[in-house]
Amino acid sequence: MHGAKHSLGIILFPAFDWSISPTHPEREERLLYTQDQLKEEGLFDIEGVDEHKPGVAGREDVERAHFCFPEVESVATRSHLVAAGGTITAADLVMTGRHKRAFALVRPPGHHAMKVVQGSRGFCNINTEAVMIEHLREKYGVKRIAVVDTDCHHGDGTQDIYWHDPDVLFISLHQDGRTLYPGSGFPTECGGPGALGRTVNIPLPPGTGDEGYLAVMERIVLPILKDFAPEIVVNSAGQDNHFTDPITNMNLTAQGYARMTELLKPDIAVLEGGYAIQGALPYVNLGIALSLAGLDYTGVREPAFDAVKHRQRPDLADYIDRLCDTIPNVYFHPPTEHKDGFVTRQETGEWFVRHKNIYYDTDDITEAQTEELFLCGSCRGLLKIVSRTTKNPACLGIEVPIGACDACRSLGYSIYEEAQVKEGYRFAQFINRRDKEYQRHGF
Amino acid sequence: MYLGIDVGGTHTDAVALDETGIKAQVKVKTDQSDLLASVNQALREILRTVKPDGVLQLNLSTTLSTNAIVQGTTEDVGMLVIPGPGISAHEFMLCRDYHVLPGAIDHRGTETDRLDEAKARAAIDACRASGVRVFGCVGKFSTRNPLHENTLRQSLGPSGGQGPDYVTLGHELGGRLNFPRRLATAYFNCAVWRVFNAFADAVEKSLAELGLGHVRVNTLKADGGTFPLSQARRMPVQSIFSGPAASVMGIIALCDITRDSVILDIGGTTTDIAVFVDGQPLVENDGINIGSHPTLVRALKVRSIGIGGDSAINVLGEAVRVGPNRLGPSLADSVPAGAALPAGARPTLIDALNVTGACAHGNVEASRAGLAEFAARHSIKPDMLAGQAVAAAAEAIYASTQELLAEINDKPVYTIHELLEGRRVAPGRVYLMGGPAAAMKEAVRQRFELFTVVPEHFGVANAIGAALTRNTASLELFADTEKGVMFIPALRHRENVPRTYSLKDAERDAMNHMLAHLSEMGVFADRDNAQVTHASSFNMVDEGRTTGKNIRVKCQIKPGVAFTLNGQPAVPPGGRVAGHSLKLATGQLADKAGERG
Ligand SMILES: [Zn+2]
Ligand SMILES: [Zn+2]
Repeated sequence: MHGAKHSLGIILFPAFDWSISPTHPEREERLLYTQDQLKEEGLFDIEGVDEHKPGVAGREDVERAHFCFPEVESVATRSHLVAAGGTITAADLVMTGRHKRAFALVRPPGHHAMKVVQGSRGFCNINTEAVMIEHLREKYGVKRIAVVDTDCHHGDGTQDIYWHDPDVLFISLHQDGRTLYPGSGFPTECGGPGALGRTVNIPLPPGTGDEGYLAVMERIVLPILKDFAPEIVVNSAGQDNHFTDPITNMNLTAQGYARMTELLKPDIAVLEGGYAIQGALPYVNLGIALSLAGLDYTGVREPAFDAVKHRQRPDLADYIDRLCDTIPNVYFHPPTEHKDGFVTRQETGEWFVRHKNIYYDTDDITEAQTEELFLCGSCRGLLKIVSRTTKNPACLGIEVPIGACDACRSLGYSIYEEAQVKEGYRFAQFINRRDKEYQRHGF
Repeated sequence: MYLGIDVGGTHTDAVALDETGIKAQVKVKTDQSDLLASVNQALREILRTVKPDGVLQLNLSTTLSTNAIVQGTTEDVGMLVIPGPGISAHEFMLCRDYHVLPGAIDHRGTETDRLDEAKARAAIDACRASGVRVFGCVGKFSTRNPLHENTLRQSLGPSGGQGPDYVTLGHELGGRLNFPRRLATAYFNCAVWRVFNAFADAVEKSLAELGLGHVRVNTLKADGGTFPLSQARRMPVQSIFSGPAASVMGIIALCDITRDSVILDIGGTTTDIAVFVDGQPLVENDGINIGSHPTLVRALKVRSIGIGGDSAINVLGEAVRVGPNRLGPSLADSVPAGAALPAGARPTLIDALNVTGACAHGNVEASRAGLAEFAARHSIKPDMLAGQAVAAAAEAIYASTQELLAEINDKPVYTIHELLEGRRVAPGRVYLMGGPAAAMKEAVRQRFELFTVVPEHFGVANAIGAALTRNTASLELFADTEKGVMFIPALRHRENVPRTYSLKDAERDAMNHMLAHLSEMGVFADRDNAQVTHASSFNMVDEGRTTGKNIRVKCQIKPGVAFTLNGQPAVPPGGRVAGHSLKLATGQLADKAGERG
């Protein structure tokens, strides 16, 4: 057996003792056959391919990415902390040079979890990639990171977390939001005022197959990545775009996924969704792992594969062709106006304000949110979020960003202190990334 | 009376013992070109003290299969391989007559592609035409459904005559998942089959001639257990690399190990490091490598490093090192008393230990002279060089032990419970054996900073281990209640089960089948030594509806010794023993930490 061309660390954590409910897609059985397949293939005997135990994310690991109300422990179960910990381990394997690449095959998924977490959305509580990205910044000082989300659903959580962040490029390929949960992810959604063009959405028509995905990869994703020149490329490797997936309508195959991975060359891949657990996941995950390791994946083929049946419909090619022509403009020539919020003038200065209504479908919670970003000329700006839900009264989150200026830092402290004095909020969280200070109030 | 023979690389050690202690022990040089002669010589020596009638059992640990592979005296094997989709089977081309056949079984045991029987017949004909007499038939996921392997077996025809002399089917090797390992294991099993059986015939003939025809003969395995010779004839690959296990089992027989410990067997050229958890040896998760091929052959977790009594001392700049290259034997062993040192004589670890005064082995003067000469060449004081060499050896052994412990503690787990509750292995004692054990004791104790024990009889611990090692067995059961099937690959047992079949039923069936199989082979196995080491049951769901259960159970007879020999004085000349104590061995969970999941 040839050794791996790129050494690969795999964190396989199937959480065999955790489910949302016994028959939920996110259940114990989900990675069982994937594990069987990887073991039967002898993947971990290949020189350069190793399996590693996940770490467990701590409270502050999560708080670097999220405001959790009322607190981390109540919105994240231990399995979420292990899944997030698994991505941290993946990052450590790559950053310490132990492996060239890493694949976190963990569950539950995370890309629908937004900046504020009040419960579970789309099976996600904690955004595992965001926890990992913040770890990369905090521990290794990585600055520019690209996240390419190939899950069939729009990665609305990751988009929300990095909406105002010009150093994290977020690209999502997904089934068009007009036909699938969560109903967002249109090209017009392209980032906050300080990060326009750093969110790129590519909504694909139902039925898109290997051909379409690879065209998008070659004509949209790769040129943008080349220009952005990130230090680390992360792939949110959801596999619900497979032609057998029970909850989506795409036509991607294991071969297509492996080829896409080969083109993308992610440093770290993280499993997201994918619920065809017998007919797709074992083969797609094997394909991704082999491709990441630079090994021959041409023999990977799912039993239900039919070259004729699973070819992309010819009429889709034109549509996708047009996407390939227009979407790069989102990054290369972003709009100068932002349409999702407005600017208000307060005594402290100018603030960008967004109102959001968020529904946590898995937990049936409705949240009303006001997000305010201080439009600071000298740093990314102080972030302030007020969140109310059917479960919790007003909660406050304040974040002093990495590299904050002195003004934003002291503004953050004064707002947080004022909030404590006035007692207008049930829970408050204060995250100071500049000085690595994490405070909570109201427990 | 129990006999144990460990045919090692340099020496063949043999002991005869019973519950009252060691009755005889011998050490003869191993003749690598004629292992049978070494076995016969050891037996004859033993029979000087011990009467043949009283001997009940002979346990034999040999390097026969290993040697056959290393020396290339194995036979050509016809491999019929059904890989299905995935990594190309051409990556694992083990031999000339290697035929990849279309067909596929998936992870649940569903046939997803029919076996191409015409191609299979053509492959068999091609093998026959090139004179192949033994065959391995191996399919991916054959441990879930052996259909294709069984079909190939049929196509090969009955054994003997025109048919094959021997056939290994992949699923007979056990239920563990790992297709490349299954391939390699089946291949090596076939490759050494004839040479092993010829040896077994010769041993049985010798035993009859020596009046030992009535003796029950077992062969040692690398997993710290034995299996009957009749069984070894079918699965000779399991007899490979049993040497380190014999030593580890010897320590169990000699010491009362109850907690996490490190076992060091310091030999002439290597040191074997093993780890005990709660007093029980750890079993390797996957299996040993034969050459560069990982296999399914279960083994105790033993790490070997190239440091032993005969390892040469090196000086590289400021650093003094020992090994890994062997340039021995030591001067103490090779220079006759009074003789001059040969030109460029290279001192070894034993010579250094002679100089530090840790031992007085062989020609101590030669050690002193050699070390002085070597030290002068590197402008170091001889005493300092000797001290640094011993410390360097202890350091290398320590570093390797730490690596092994880290590996054990980092082993992946698959449930939140195991991840959060997983206990770390932290040894509190070191047990030393092998030739230089007593001499190295102080250096090891200083480096490990742990209580260090050198048991008596440490020089023949391997043969004692061989003599007292019990039978072990293990099997895996797989059940799919949606399909209504239960399958125990190792026993080739497949039966229909009702939809109500539960994990409890599976655990009971696995245990009963294992014990029944052992008793069929004439092995008495205490039910108390049988244990379930893994049991899991997954609800299978389709479109929101539970369709059945996917059940996996592993069970084993844990490794252990028939009894232990504690607190005995050394055997006085003539072999009479007094003041012994006897304690029945209580085996415990052998792979508690070594084989979770
Ligand atoms: Zn999804
Ligand atoms: Zn600022």
